[in-house]
Amino acid sequence: MNRQTLNITLSGFALCMLIAGCDSMKTPATANVAVTKNAVDNASDAGGAEFAPSEMKSARDKLALANKAMSNNDYKLANDLATQAQADAKLAQSKASSEKAQAAANALNTDIRVLQEELSRKNNP
Amino acid sequence: MKLVVNPALLLLAGLLAACSSAPTSTSLLDQTRSDYYTAQHNPHVTSYASAEMDQAAVLLDKANSAANDHESAEKIDKLAYLAKQKIATATEISKQKTAEAVVAHSAQERNQVRLNERTNEANLANANAQQANAATKIAQDQTQQAQAQTARLQAQLNELSARQTDRGMLITINDVLFNTDKAQLKAEGVMSVQKVARILLDNPQQNVYIDGFTDSTGSAAHNLEISERRANSVSAVLIDMGITRNRITTHGYGEDQPVADNATAQNRQLNRRVEITLYNPAKNTVHQ
Repeated sequence: MNRQTLNITLSGFALCMLIAGCDSMKTPATANVAVTKNAVDNASDAGGAEFAPSEMKSARDKLALANKAMSNNDYKLANDLATQAQADAKLAQSKASSEKAQAAANALNTDIRVLQEELSRKNNP
Repeated sequence: MKLVVNPALLLLAGLLAACSSAPTSTSLLDQTRSDYYTAQHNPHVTSYASAEMDQAAVLLDKANSAANDHESAEKIDKLAYLAKQKIATATEISKQKTAEAVVAHSAQERNQVRLNERTNEANLANANAQQANAATKIAQDQTQQAQAQTARLQAQLNELSARQTDRGMLITINDVLFNTDKAQLKAEGVMSVQKVARILLDNPQQNVYIDGFTDSTGSAAHNLEISERRANSVSAVLIDMGITRNRITTHGYGEDQPVADNATAQNRQLNRRVEITLYNPAKNTVHQ
């Protein structure tokens, strides 16, 4: 085996390793994108578009880019974008939930104030 | 080979050393650290979103490690971004749980307020009903009292053979109730006048005229005098019974106004009399 043959062999091996390495990202990235899609849908159902429009838009845009990266076989980028989109979607969902809970608390407090006013009017006509 | 120490190389080495000892940071990482500090000092966040804060701490540690290892700004920011979103999520979760706690407490408070309101309404309705009942009872009692008083007065008047005249209820105290030719009442006469006194005590709105009359026997002056004295002795009995003097008007008419001609002894006895008239001064203010 001469030196050149060894070089070609080594280069081929390295290339194989690189392709295998990239391919090894395919399965986790696919799973991550699927989980992110689910998180975005949940945030949307919770009213994310209404209560947290910028986080919601960010999550959708990044999910779209992640899908695009998947079809370009860029699994590393797809994974990163999916992870970011997931963080955005979870924030959007928790914002929507907290806004709704605060609105409910405010409505209830208003309700109580009205009732108390009514009660004190009845007691001191 | 001769070793030449190049000053420029030394400087470069020094710079590299400085770089390795001063960790890289990015404005996003700085912001994320600040967010983490704020959240960590919010008691709502630490109590309601401790799991999310733990996750945020792991993510921030990764970003800090990347900075310490002089990784690229892009990589540091990627990690810092995830930590920053996680911290924001933790803060939102704590707000949500705080609001939910308020809702739980407020719902209880509202129920209490509503309960108070209903209790209040029920008490008010009860009080109104009781008041109405009491008022009805009082009205019934008053009606019964008035009816009883009317019945009693009627019985008393009947007993005294009273009759209605224009001036009022007229009760005649006969001559036989006086000592002969005297102003002094006999015991039976006093009893009759006392019955009149009781009527007056029961009916404080009633006043009395007491008018004395005689027959035509004897001098007019004597008759006038005895009719006045007989009227006064009836008045004295009423006053003794507690009737105030200003409710009594006495008058002696002598032999004027006979009720029968003086031809027979029986008629003359009818003419010798004292007439007591009960009247209500509020209704009948005309005095004869």
